[in-house]
Amino acid sequence: MIEANDLTKEYGSVTAVNRVSFSIAEGELFGLLGPNGSGKTTMIRMLTGQIRPTSGSARVMGLDVARDPIRVRKLVGIIPEQETPPSFLTAEEYLRFVARIRNLDRVDERCDRWFDLLEFREKRDVLCKDLSRGTRQKLMFAQAFLHEPRLALIDEPLINLDPIMQRTVKDFLRSYVRDGGTIFFSTHILEIAEEICDRIGIIHNGRLLHSGRIEDLVGSGRHLESFFLDLVKGDTGA
Amino acid sequence: MPDLFLAMMKEEWRIHSTIFGSLGFAFFPVVVAVFAFLGSLALPLFRDTLPYATVALLAQILFLMMGVMVGSFGLMGREFMNRRFGQASLVAYASRSLPVSERRIFAAFLVKDTVYYILLYVLPFAAGFAAATPFIALDPMVGLLAFVSLTLAFLVGLSIVCFLSTLYAHSVRLLAGTVVVLAVLALAGLRLGAITVSTALPPYAFFIDPGPGPLALALLLILVPSAVSVLFVTVEYPDRTKRFNNCLDPLAERLRALGSAHFIAKDALDLLRSEGGAGKVIFSFLLPLGLVWVCLSVLIRFIPGIDPLVVFAVLLGVISATIYNWLTEFDSFSSYTFLPVEVSEVIDGKLKSYGLASLLPVAVLALAAATGGAGTFLPALAAFLSVSAYTLAVTVYLTGLHPNVMLYSAGVFLRYLLAISPALLLLIFASIFDPAYAALSLLLVLPAALLLSRGRTKWQAWEMPGY
Repeated sequence: MIEANDLTKEYGSVTAVNRVSFSIAEGELFGLLGPNGSGKTTMIRMLTGQIRPTSGSARVMGLDVARDPIRVRKLVGIIPEQETPPSFLTAEEYLRFVARIRNLDRVDERCDRWFDLLEFREKRDVLCKDLSRGTRQKLMFAQAFLHEPRLALIDEPLINLDPIMQRTVKDFLRSYVRDGGTIFFSTHILEIAEEICDRIGIIHNGRLLHSGRIEDLVGSGRHLESFFLDLVKGDTGA
Repeated sequence: MPDLFLAMMKEEWRIHSTIFGSLGFAFFPVVVAVFAFLGSLALPLFRDTLPYATVALLAQILFLMMGVMVGSFGLMGREFMNRRFGQASLVAYASRSLPVSERRIFAAFLVKDTVYYILLYVLPFAAGFAAATPFIALDPMVGLLAFVSLTLAFLVGLSIVCFLSTLYAHSVRLLAGTVVVLAVLALAGLRLGAITVSTALPPYAFFIDPGPGPLALALLLILVPSAVSVLFVTVEYPDRTKRFNNCLDPLAERLRALGSAHFIAKDALDLLRSEGGAGKVIFSFLLPLGLVWVCLSVLIRFIPGIDPLVVFAVLLGVISATIYNWLTEFDSFSSYTFLPVEVSEVIDGKLKSYGLASLLPVAVLALAAATGGAGTFLPALAAFLSVSAYTLAVTVYLTGLHPNVMLYSAGVFLRYLLAISPALLLLIFASIFDPAYAALSLLLVLPAALLLSRGRTKWQAWEMPGY
């Protein structure tokens, strides 16, 4: 579903992502872990064609992202790092706006499903600017999955959500993958990755330091936290 | 307090220099000074119809409104900051996370706004005027007087809006009651003849007749509302959650034939639901149009043969382009980057919204024609449509979806002026020979189309900064 080859992004003298290669198969739940500023968000923005890589390439669902970013974004669902729905549309209007952009049918049914699953039906007529951050994150979740994509890329999926909603979202992500979907998400919260991921990657200073299955890590008797800390602290950036 | 003040000053500079670029923003006061200088040099030309006292009054009102705008933005501009910078976190909003009282933060905020904007607007404007005084036979001391009185006018506006926002933060009823009481007192004062321009605007009175009376009154109007604002400041704003039924779909259905209907419907809802809907129209459209009428009445006396409707149409075309600023004010491409939408698609939607909103200036033009000059309505209409399209195209090419931000960069603003002024002047001069020549403005449609096409390509290749 995702194939990254030597992906690199430079901002002036800063190399945000440095020659990263990996692949993610259909039906995988992959977590990209890393400290703040390690390159996770830049990676997601490159994989979804929001920014162009300085060098290297990426294919998402068989498409070259740099050449066909709009088609990629038609196919996948994306939740950005910051929840930025338009201020002066209501939650429902925003979902309908996204549905129109994506040319979707059965809009009432699709919206209702997400209002119910994420429990924000009573907020559907509130302007986005007046929603709490948690509700905005729910709304961003709903817009990303409204078209029932086969692949979703999520930047910090549980941000601003309360523990009950975190449980709901984690359960949803697992069931989505069980039903054949693929998830690529980034986070710096290790417990989430340990709980729901099939495979993880660890990125630091823009370089992918590790990529492997969670169960291999657990099988070797190591905790993700100590593994992560050893890896990141031991990385000199050379 | 000095630490807070310095931190806020640095923050304000960094906000502006991040938006406009350090050099571009640093030149902004220079541009203000140059325009004030050139405008002051032209004052004697208009003296018969526009006496100096009237110019002074207009300048005082302008700076009073500037104080109101700076105060409003400082207190309510969080939404804009969030859309520009993501989740903005400014020192002024940090009373809950820093061991500093809201009162101290707010006092430092007021002092910062005072110093920063006096340096940015008032001082350069007064300096430009002062530099022109030897050439227009005025005492250079008038420049100093202008600086003091305009500073007072700016501060009156700033302190009044701070006072009103403090009332609003406590209770909408308290605010409404105060406004009603002040309005009743003002009306009564007007009826009794107790309120004149000078008593209503003490900084103006001080400029016309410097003395301790108007100065004390101006200071009173600044210090009392400011002190009340600082003493009773609160960040616990009442809940203002707004709820609306789904209006997007019905509106988009009605606009279906135009294409991009959901973008146009969204623009309409942004305009209708955003704060200061009517205020935006007054400040960016009707107020400049009023000024145009004043200037035209002067020009007609100096340049015989000029057709006021054609000239008005040309200037209306330029002013109408600010509609594009309204349409982009509350939109940010960051809301679309994760959707299958191209920048050019959003721009196209804005252009269609602009076309629909342009019915308003066309109505204004028709109204102006109906009150006299209907004979030249057709060339005037052609001039309006062409100039409006050309100015819009220049704006789109130079600023993309960010005119509200980028036109404040000195470099971009200069290019904007250089692109528009020659075409404008040529049209006006041609129409002096024969108003029918205004139809030549249709030639502008070609560069407009070219600029729009290039603008779409240019902004399509643009990449959201940040990582």
